[in-house]
Amino acid sequence: MYVIVAGGGKVGFYLAKELVEHGHEVLVVESDARRAAEIEAQLGSIVMCGPADEARVLRDAGAERADLVCAVTGDDEDNLVICQVAKARFHASRVIARINNPKNAEIFHKLGIDDTVSATDVVLSVIEQELPRQHLIPLLRLRHTDVEVVEAIVEEGSTIAGRRLRDVALPKPCTIAVILRDDAVIFPEPDTPILIGDALIAFTTSENEGPLRKALLGE
Amino acid sequence: MFNPKKILVPVNGGPQDATVVALASQLAKRSKGQVYAIYVIEVRRTLPLDADLPSERQEADVVLDGVEHAAEEWDQEVETEILQARDVGTAIVEEAVEANVDLILLGISYRRKFGEFDLGRTVPYVLKNAPCEVWVCREQIGDRSGR
Repeated sequence: MYVIVAGGGKVGFYLAKELVEHGHEVLVVESDARRAAEIEAQLGSIVMCGPADEARVLRDAGAERADLVCAVTGDDEDNLVICQVAKARFHASRVIARINNPKNAEIFHKLGIDDTVSATDVVLSVIEQELPRQHLIPLLRLRHTDVEVVEAIVEEGSTIAGRRLRDVALPKPCTIAVILRDDAVIFPEPDTPILIGDALIAFTTSENEGPLRKALLGE
Repeated sequence: MFNPKKILVPVNGGPQDATVVALASQLAKRSKGQVYAIYVIEVRRTLPLDADLPSERQEADVVLDGVEHAAEEWDQEVETEILQARDVGTAIVEEAVEANVDLILLGISYRRKFGEFDLGRTVPYVLKNAPCEVWVCREQIGDRSGR
């Protein structure tokens, strides 16, 4: 696979290093000559010095034949331009943008850059998982959908503890896909009882998150 | 005295090719060694590394034929190869390591850039990174017309 990594900062460097170690053909495009030389000294001749948000640079980098263009500079605007040029002008097979400000994700999606990675969001999601257990914990959002995977812990005193799954009034659409009980993974049937300490993994829409919280946790 | 057994001679069709091949042939003859000439085609990033480049390969063939003829004058056999790489310097060093050569003989022209003598990228890279001895033969100043 031919991968162009636009931006030779820490993220770009380690991304390129991993990709090279996995046997991919990689080119790092870095605008700062000194940084480009540093990367070249460590990773070999896989660096091009130039601004990746300029079409001529992406053309010379071979964006037309790239299987993947990753825009991972520290600047969301640059990443957006790089992805748009790679996609619209050079028809790169796939583009991935690093987003520094999570609020920009929607703009990227609106402009056709569907694959985005936000370190801020990742850290936020880890923090949310560490929040008090009575909350509904968001685990992930399914790509290109409004569907979220969430986790709810059944605490002592919960109104659903001891009831069967069929007796729990879940909002629609929403489903409990898995129950984690001690070390066991249970794919629940309607008759499966819900016990204290169970971790319920549910699929829900963002809209139904509130009603689901109420149904499972009584909040 | 330095008696290299394996000598790598990168050529590019430049004015110093014949000189370095002659020098390599004499050294190899004395040490009963081998001369290994390579022509590196630098493949731009817009193309895959193994792209078919007929005109470049034809040019490389002509240059390497010249190398063989130059070596014949010294009654020295020379092994030739055409390589495709992203960067000439890297290809030379990698080839030197792989073939475990004792000496790289580079021929360079006298080149000026912005009024200053300029070695380009390849020679400094090879000088910095090659594990073996590296000799650089620069053409005489004013050897060629217009310089």
